[in-house]
Formats: sequence, C-alpha cells, structure tokens
Amino acid sequence: MNSSDTVKINSRLTKRRHFKRNTAPALAMAGPVTFWMLFFVLLPLLYVIFISFMSRDLYGGIAFEFTTENYTNMLKPVYLNVIWQSIKLAFFTTLICLLIGYPFAYYIARKPSKVAAKLLMLIMIPFWTNSLVRLYSLGLLAAPKGFINIVLQKLGLISEPLQMLHTNGIVVVGLLISMLPFAVLPLYASIEKLDKSYLEASSDLGARPAVTFWKVTVPLTLPGIVASIILVFIPSLGMYYVPETLGGGKIMLIGNLIRNQFLVTRNWPFGASLSILLILITLFMLWFYTRVARLDELEVF
Amino acid sequence: MKTMKKSLLFLLIAVMVFSLSACGGAAEEEATPGELNVYMWSEYMSESVVQGFEEEFNIKVNFSYMNSSEEATAKLTSGGGDQYDLVMPCDADMTALINGGHLAEMNLDNIPNFANLGEAYKYREFDPENKYAMPYLMNYVYVIYNPETCPIEITKYQDLFSPELKGQISSITGIRNLFPIALVALGYDPNSSVESEIAEAYEWLKGYMANVKVLSSDDTEQAIVSGECSVALVFDGQAGRAFEAVPGLKVADLSDPIQLGVDELVIPANAKNKENAELFLNYLLDAEVMAENLIANPYTCPNVEAIKLTEDSYKLNPAINIPQHMKDNYFLQLDVGEAATVYDEYWTMLLSEQ
Repeated sequence: MNSSDTVKINSRLTKRRHFKRNTAPALAMAGPVTFWMLFFVLLPLLYVIFISFMSRDLYGGIAFEFTTENYTNMLKPVYLNVIWQSIKLAFFTTLICLLIGYPFAYYIARKPSKVAAKLLMLIMIPFWTNSLVRLYSLGLLAAPKGFINIVLQKLGLISEPLQMLHTNGIVVVGLLISMLPFAVLPLYASIEKLDKSYLEASSDLGARPAVTFWKVTVPLTLPGIVASIILVFIPSLGMYYVPETLGGGKIMLIGNLIRNQFLVTRNWPFGASLSILLILITLFMLWFYTRVARLDELEVF
Repeated sequence: MKTMKKSLLFLLIAVMVFSLSACGGAAEEEATPGELNVYMWSEYMSESVVQGFEEEFNIKVNFSYMNSSEEATAKLTSGGGDQYDLVMPCDADMTALINGGHLAEMNLDNIPNFANLGEAYKYREFDPENKYAMPYLMNYVYVIYNPETCPIEITKYQDLFSPELKGQISSITGIRNLFPIALVALGYDPNSSVESEIAEAYEWLKGYMANVKVLSSDDTEQAIVSGECSVALVFDGQAGRAFEAVPGLKVADLSDPIQLGVDELVIPANAKNKENAELFLNYLLDAEVMAENLIANPYTCPNVEAIKLTEDSYKLNPAINIPQHMKDNYFLQLDVGEAATVYDEYWTMLLSEQ
C-alpha cells in the first residue's frame, strides 16, 4: 500500500465520518421540514407570484400572457379603499385587544404561578372549539329572541328586545373574543419576566405609579407589546368572517375580495396579486418588529 | 454482523411495505364492482333514493359536499374533476365550463328518462344538443314579507328601493344575484354586459343597500323569522323554511321577472366512472324516484312527470306554489364574459362603501 492510497482511504473515512456526524443528523432533523417548506410553501408561493403576472381569459381561466395590470389595478380608488378598510379594522382590533389584554395580562402575571396557570388556561379553553362555532353562538345569544334578550325581558329590565345583532358593537366583541389570547399570551410572557425590584426602585426614587408605569413597565415589556400587536394585527387583516357573520354581511375587506376573485369572478391572477400584497404587508410588519424589538426576543409564550 | 442486521432491517421494511400494499389490494377486491363519486350540496338528495340506486345496480355512491356552487366550478376548472364522476355547479357557470373543455359529453341514449324533463329544461341555450348538463332541482329568487309589519305593498323590485323599508330587508348576497334585480328594475337585460348599465345598477343597489339590514346567503330567512326584518329577498328553499316557522308570511306578487337558478349535474372531462354517472342520472330522472326525492327536498323541479306523481304536501307548499305568472316570467343567469371583472369592481365599490 503506498502513501497516496492511505491518504485516499483517510480522506474517504473523514468524509464518511463527517457525513455520519454532521450531515445525516441534520438531514434527519431538518430534512422533512425542508422538504415540506420547499414543496408545500415555496413552490406554491412561486406559482402564486407567477400567475399574479398573467391575465384572465374570457371564461375565467388563466391566460399565459404577461401583464402588470393586476398590480396597477390595485391602485384604483375602489381597491385602495378596501385595503384601507381592512387595515383600519385590523388596527382597531389590535388597539382594543391591547387595551383590554394588557391590564389582564398584568393582573395574571402578578398572581402566584399556580393561580396564573389556571387563569391562562381559562383564556385558552374557549379556543378548543372552532372559531366559527363561537361566533355563531355569540350571534344566537345576541339575537332579538336570543338568550340575553329573553333573560332581560323576563327580569323586566327591558320591554322591547335590544338590537344587538348586526351592529358594530357586537362586531367588536366578536373580534375581541377571536383575538384576545394572541394579545394576552405574549404580554403575559414579558410582564411575568419583569423584575419587581425595578418598580420598587422607581417608587423609592419618588416616581408616581403612573410615571413608573410609563417610564419603567412599558419600555421593559415593549417586546411583548410589539409581539402581541403583530400577532393580532396580521390575522385581523384577513378576518372578514367576523363582520360578515355578526355585522350583517355588508362589508368588503381584503379577505372577501380575494375570495371573490378566486370563486365568483374567476379572476385568479388578480386574486393572486392581492394575496401577494397581503404577504408584503406581513413582511413589512415583521421588518418593523425587528426595528423596534430585536427579532431573537420575539416573545410569544 | 452489522451487515446482517442491516439486511434484516431491510427485509423487515420490505415485508411491511408489501403487506401494506397487499392490504390495499385485498380491500379493493372486496369493494363493490362499481363506484360513483358525487360532489354536491349537502342535504339535497334523499338517502332512500341513493340506497335504492346502490341496491339496484350494486354501485357504491360516495358523496363529498361543497359550500357553494362556485366551489364546484372551481374544482372543475382547476383540474380537480378527476376525483368525481358527477359535480353540481349552477347553470350560470355552464358556458364557461363547456367552453373551457372541463366537461365530458353525455350519451343521451343511456339516459332515456331524459324525456321526463319539461321542454324548457332541455336543449337550452348554453347546451343546444344537451350533451353536458342535466338539470337536477331549481330555485327561484323572490320576495317574502310579513303582512303585519311590512309598511308597503311590494309588487315590483322598485318597491324595495322605497325609503319606508329602511333597515327592513334581509337579502341574499352575491354579485350575480343582486345586479340582475337592479338591472331588471331599471328596465335593462338582467345579464347586461354594458358598463354604463352596470354603473346605473350600482347606483340603484346603493339605495337598496340602505334598506338592507342583513346581507347573507346562508340563513337569509332567519332575520324575517325572528322579526328583525319585515321583508326578505330569498331563495325559495329558504322561503319554505320561513313559512314553516312563521305561517303568516307571504310571497310578494311581483310583476318583474324573477331569477331562476338551476343546479346542474355534469360529468367532469376526466371522470373515471362515466357509465355509472349516466346510470345514476337516468335513475334520478325516473319519475317515481324523483317524486320520492321531492318529499324530503321540496324544491322546484324540472321533471314534469315526477311532479304529476307528488302529493298535495308538495304541490300546495307555499314556497313552490307561487303564482303561475311569476313562474313563467323568469330569467336565467348567463355568462357575462369579460364584463365579470366590471361587475366585480362595482360590487367591491358597493360593499366597501357600506
């Protein structure tokens, strides 16, 4: 055996060892997910991007002719208005969830951990049922001949049934029960970590509770606040079914618009371009998050 | 030693794989010789009728259910038709489906009961040789009202525009359900593709929307049943449910043409069991079978021979037994071609301004 052979065998051995030690475990662990992401996320996404540049044929199929019209179409006031309405609704949902979720999370976080776990559980339990079922049951409760009205009438508090269903008020309640846990959980995670000694120090140094809250608590829990803003805002953008089921259906948001393009008008290319827009808004939000709070501190649970 | 372990493992896996495929094979052999896969609305076909077919022809019928007829159309156009042998889109989409080449031709020689259909439902405009679409059941869209609470008399669509009905109407939704009503009210073709007419219809619908309290196609009748609204624009099936709950409700006697929608049964171009599909179609068109089907599904039916065999409970059903002049004065939803995107834009504008 000459030396070059030895080197060859050695290098082969090293390669094999390298494969066994590094490549094989990596393949086994990350392989399935990579495969999944490639074939079920990346490829379909590329196809969506592709058809968003195609045009609609006479009978609602995809004509393979390049056009940018689907994107320029979006700039028409009518579609801009839909996008604006969706953003507005998502914004208000986020705001309300934050206003209600923050005190609630704060309250839980200040409880002993056993009680806190139970309280968090209470937030999670409604989520074991389907969200549509929850919304429909809310609708039934609030109907003119529903449970709430009947009870109030029997108690003699009202003579005529209250008009609750199909109002803006109940839409807000619906949005709230759909999104609140997404706001509370990240908030809880960051408030819970908040070191109490900072608050004591602040009050020792003479700060009033309100000042302590704004100058100490809020900045320290900012990652949780931003995380909950993102977790509520992004799904809210597409949540057209809450206003549709509870608000009386007279509504057009990005979600309905995309659905209409695919099913009713059969203008798949335009629907695809609107989906891309939603993805871009999401990416923008994530970019915004990395500016405000560092991404590796994305505190969800 | 190691290699032996490996080869044993390999063998084990091989045995498992083969036994798995053996399982599959055995199951297939046990299955009935025939199979039929149907994609349609749920609760729209009597189980007894389906059982009768399965027993008579020894064919297993598997149902999958859709949420809207648009989903049926989307399944066919996106190439998912090969999973099914019969699909139920609505007549409005037929032109697009036929011209897009998504449907298989039927052999009418295999469907002799075709003769039982009323003349108006054979050889229709979109399918002059009747090769592609077989009408199953139909629905009218009309107005029902509560005589005790409705402030005005409704005889034409224009009355729905009246300010006295503010917040009083529960309405079905959908681009091609509401625009035709506005177009008819304005005296235009309900399937117009002229942009200026669509724009006028949009203005009309803005006024209509001010009167609409609930806009939904799922349970439109709920709002008039609960007393929240006094008028409802509904499908006749929904009207039937409303009459059951509140017997005092009435159908408005309209002089304007009303919309007729037909649920069609079609065979996808790449269907696997085309013969079974034709057998099933022929069976469904049998007068006695369809009459039985109408007991549990009291909807308007194009099968005139079957209607002759129905009981009074069907014939006198207030949702079906509407004035004859209304039944005769109907319009269909037709393909509007490129105007579809124009409709979509005005519809989006209409709803985003609410």
